[in-house]
Amino acid sequence: MSNAAHRLLWTVLALLLVGAGGTAWAVGAGRLPGAGVPLVGAGPVRWWRAGAPWSGLAVAVGGLLLALLGQRLLAAARRVPDRLGGTLAHRGDGAGRTRVASGVLTGALERDLLRAPGVRRARVVLTGPVTGPDVWVEVRLAPSAGIGAARAHVDAAVRRFAATVGCRPAHLDVTALVDETSG
Amino acid sequence: MRTVNRAATLLLAVALLGGGVLMAVAGLLAALGRPGPLPSGWSATLTTARWADAPVRGVAAAVTLLGLVVLGAELRRWRPTRLRLTDDDGWHLHRRSVERRLARAVRSVPSVRRARVRVRRRGDAWRPRVTATGDPAARADVEFALRRELDRLTAPRRGPIEVRLVPARRTP
Repeated sequence: MSNAAHRLLWTVLALLLVGAGGTAWAVGAGRLPGAGVPLVGAGPVRWWRAGAPWSGLAVAVGGLLLALLGQRLLAAARRVPDRLGGTLAHRGDGAGRTRVASGVLTGALERDLLRAPGVRRARVVLTGPVTGPDVWVEVRLAPSAGIGAARAHVDAAVRRFAATVGCRPAHLDVTALVDETSG
Repeated sequence: MRTVNRAATLLLAVALLGGGVLMAVAGLLAALGRPGPLPSGWSATLTTARWADAPVRGVAAAVTLLGLVVLGAELRRWRPTRLRLTDDDGWHLHRRSVERRLARAVRSVPSVRRARVRVRRRGDAWRPRVTATGDPAARADVEFALRRELDRLTAPRRGPIEVRLVPARRTP
C-alpha cells in the first residue's frame, strides 16, 4: 500500500468515527430521538432467538468475512510498492489505443544511469504517451559523488534515451538519495 | 506520520483478523448451543445500557474526539519527503538522506558528539536546524561544516542556520 492509500484509509475511518461517535453522543444528549432506548433493542434480540441456529451461522459467516478483510488488509499493508511498472500509451488513427509496458525501455535507461561514477542504484518509471513520456528517475548516490556531475550525467542519459527511442520527454522528475556512508 | 499510518493499518488488520475469527467461533458455538468464548455478561450489558447513560455518552465523546484527532492529523500538511533543488529542472533530494548527511558533517566537528539536523524549506530557501551535543564554543565550526556540506549538495538559497549546542553532561 502506498502512503496515499494509508492516508485515504485513515481519513475515511476518521470520518466514520466522527460520524458514529457524534451521532451516538447526540442521541445520548437528547438532541436526536432515542435517548431512553437500549443500545441493542428488542428487534435484534428477537431475531437472534427466533432465528437459531441460523442466526448463529449468519454471525459466523459475518465473522469469517471480517477475518478475510483483515487478512487482505494485512497482506496489502505488508506489501511495499517497491517497483512501479509504468505504462506508455500510443493513440491509433481510429478508436482505441495501444498500451506498451515500459520495462525494457526503463531497463536500458537504468543501465545507462548506473554507468556514472557514484550512482549506486537507479530506478526509472515511464508513463504517458509514447512520443512525450513523463520520466521519473530515482538515483542513489555515493557520498563521494558530486550532485552537479550526477545531474549532468542523468540529463545526458535521458537525452540519449530520448534520441534512441525517438521521443521527447514531456516531464523529467529526478529524486536523488545521497548516501551517508561509503559502505 | 507515514510510519504511524503504516503501523496503525497493521494493527487494524490484525484486530480485524482476530476479531473476525473470534466472532466466527462465537457464532458457530452459539449455533451448536454451546457456551461461547466471550464473557456471558456482555449481551446483557448491551440490552440494558441506554444511550443516555453517562458511560455510553463518555465512550461516544471519546470516539468523536479520537476521530477528530485522526482526521486533523491526516488532513494537515505533511512534511514533503523531498527537497527541491531548483525551480524548473525537476531535481529533488530526498529530505531524510540530506538530513543524515548534514548530521554526519556536524558530527565530524571535534567536540561534537551527537547531532540531529532537520531541514525546513521556506520558499526556495533551505533552513537547517541543528541540535547537537558538544561544546557551545564550536558553534562557528558547526556552521562552517554545515555550509560546506550544503555547497557539496548544491543546495539553493540558504536561510539562516539554527544551531543548538547542548553541553555534554559530565559523569562524576
